[in-house]
Amino acid sequence: MTKCEACGAALETPVACAACGALREVPDGASPFELLGLEPAIVVDERTLRGQLTRFARLVHPDFFAAAEPVLRERAGRNSARLNHAFEVLADSARRADWLVTALGGPAEDTERAMPQAFLAEVLEWNEVLEEARAEPEPDPRVARLAVELAARRASSLERIARALEPLPEHGSPALATVRRELNAVRYLDRALGEIESLRLARSERR
Amino acid sequence: MGYVELNVLNNPAPSAAAGPLALGIDLGTTNSLAAAWRDGRPVVLRPEGRSGLVPSVIHFGEGGPPLVGREARDHAVVDPRNTLFSVKRFMGRGLADVAQELATLPYTATENERGVVQLEARGRRYTPEELSALILRKVHEVASSALGAAAPTKCVITVPAYFDDTQRQATRDAARIAGLEVLRIVNEPTAASLAYGLDQRDKGHVAVFDLGGGTFDVTILSIEDGVFRVLSTHGDTHLGGDDFDQRLAELARVALAAEHGDELVRDPAFQQAARQAAEHCKVELSTQPEAELHLMVPHKRIAWRRRVARDEFERLTADLVERTLAACRRALSDAQLQPTEIDEVVLVGGGTRMPVVRRRVAEFFGRIPHTELNPDEVVALGAAVQAHILTGGRRDMLLLDVTPLSLGIETMGGAVSKIIQRNSTIPCEATEGFTTYADDQTAIDFHVVQGERELARDCRTLGRFKLRGLPPMPAGMARVAVRFHIDADGVLSVSAKEQSTGVSAHIDVAPMHGLTDAEVEGMLQAGYAHAQDDFAARRAADLRTEIGTMIQATEKNLNAGRAGLDKESILDLEDALARAKVAAAGSDVAALQRARDEFERAALPLAALLMNNVAQKALMGKSLGEVG
Repeated sequence: MTKCEACGAALETPVACAACGALREVPDGASPFELLGLEPAIVVDERTLRGQLTRFARLVHPDFFAAAEPVLRERAGRNSARLNHAFEVLADSARRADWLVTALGGPAEDTERAMPQAFLAEVLEWNEVLEEARAEPEPDPRVARLAVELAARRASSLERIARALEPLPEHGSPALATVRRELNAVRYLDRALGEIESLRLARSERR
Repeated sequence: MGYVELNVLNNPAPSAAAGPLALGIDLGTTNSLAAAWRDGRPVVLRPEGRSGLVPSVIHFGEGGPPLVGREARDHAVVDPRNTLFSVKRFMGRGLADVAQELATLPYTATENERGVVQLEARGRRYTPEELSALILRKVHEVASSALGAAAPTKCVITVPAYFDDTQRQATRDAARIAGLEVLRIVNEPTAASLAYGLDQRDKGHVAVFDLGGGTFDVTILSIEDGVFRVLSTHGDTHLGGDDFDQRLAELARVALAAEHGDELVRDPAFQQAARQAAEHCKVELSTQPEAELHLMVPHKRIAWRRRVARDEFERLTADLVERTLAACRRALSDAQLQPTEIDEVVLVGGGTRMPVVRRRVAEFFGRIPHTELNPDEVVALGAAVQAHILTGGRRDMLLLDVTPLSLGIETMGGAVSKIIQRNSTIPCEATEGFTTYADDQTAIDFHVVQGERELARDCRTLGRFKLRGLPPMPAGMARVAVRFHIDADGVLSVSAKEQSTGVSAHIDVAPMHGLTDAEVEGMLQAGYAHAQDDFAARRAADLRTEIGTMIQATEKNLNAGRAGLDKESILDLEDALARAKVAAAGSDVAALQRARDEFERAALPLAALLMNNVAQKALMGKSLGEVG
């Protein structure tokens, strides 16, 4: 474990030293797990994650450097931004999985584009339902059913992803390609769920 | 009895504790207000006997410094063209953005070459930044008189959560022009939650519903272990209490246009009178089931009245309330919460005094909202809490806010590539790679926008940036990393580096609808010069008033007191009285001050005598037994 240059204490996060409060220059490659002082893993306890963000934010937030010299103020802003970004990646299961697949040398999003024919046919069906619902003045009950169905599918997709990444596979393992395809399916599901949500909001505003 | 009271007023009790280190300022569309941390809690800074609320109104008279606040508001109907209000609606905006506002406002607006709106008064053009600076200076002055000493120049200023980058920068510039040092720009609803959060820091979700004079925001926060984390925010910078007034004013416009023609409806004095009558009626309808819309335009010989029932008002404004609820739905959707998952609802802003707003918000969230704190003061109080945190006062509380709008760059074909998503916790940053499309290209242009729409032309332009100084290379070889950083104020900065050579590219920023540093600097200088004049003029006016009161009191009591005073004291007082009269005719601050001090000294024997007489009279009216 890296030690603090200022006081020699073991560091929990590269952003700052919890023992002496020194703000540190964070290396560009620091991972979101490192930043939040966690071991890389697909399962992250939400409460622990929030706790780490809060604890470290109290060390680096610009609020606590308002009277500091400009160099430190700027570093506080940068380190906070790094921390916030890391939190956003880790707080979202799909983004967390995406980060792990990439870090483990798995295929990138666009190299595993090909989706099974049956799945694409389903996507076309959802789109049809949404298209028709948009044109109708009254809420379409099929949309509500679709929303429930897609949310359930998303949850089981994420479950399969979690199983495949627990424990984390070897670097470059072929299992990563399977996870990537599943993640791409989640993207399709998210897009459709997003459209259902904006349809719902737009409808409630029209009324 | 005049100067017995005067003497009391002239000797304020010395303040026990050291003054606050920074102010919290709510720079509002309708009213502005300062608060500060004192004795372990945030308090509104009120000068003796006044509310501390400064109406955000500026009047440019025929000579002398502009009037700000209550005095300015009194001129609104008499001299509407030279009385400017709702300035906040113009901050960081171009003329096209504010067409809707201008339609109902009685003054002339133009735009400078970089798209900054300018409002005209008494033949001069003022940017919203300069006008806001005048309001801020007045707020600072009121804060100083409440504190009994010069208020700190360090401050936290609040803005609507939905303000974009340009509007935030404009607010920061206004403060600089006013000679204030902004420690932080804080979002109004978030500030309000800090003011309330002091007493309720257990875990939970809070919705803050903030309907101000000209803006509407809703913010969803999670509170846990002293950390206030904003989950989402939504709003409308074109929706406020003023819009509710306009619906009532419209009743008057329609009725009177039919009777007197369209000419009248366009008359600035009429517009101003309609605005005030409507506001008055709205306020009354908050406590009465029925109120009168009563409008007077003396120079047009118009006195018009009409009864308005609360039901009617609520029908007229139903769509406005609906718009606020739509924003609540969107904010909840972004926070991925249901209305039932909200544990506390906080109401902020004068607009939330309307019973219909309270009722609909309560229905929407299924719980009674908090209204314990004055909705006009809660934002300034929260800003004072944040000011206290920023000056090292406490570390147990932490505020994590978000950027309200997505940040993006225009790509080929006019589409937007999003770089930072809305509701990202700030500070935040993102780095994007760019390259050249022609051989030996040494500069790259790009267009930064803020907003949620797909096409750049539907979003708000923050600026057009030019990266210069790239080394000549074949097309597509340059690897430029551009870093976008949004700081804790929600303000963007951009830096860039060419990675293959390590050359830092220069970035020229042409702000849209904003001032350049040089302009702010120029206004700052002008402001200092004015500030000196303003200060001297105000001090002289105060002294003249004070001397006038003393003269009156002395002349009234001198004859009665003659018998009880020795000859020398009488001569001394008569002499001081004569000199005070001469001094009161002039405007030299030093001479006025000398005359006042001298007069006060010479009047002491008379004051003492009168005090004794009063005491004796009082005693004689009572029996001996009562006196003990």
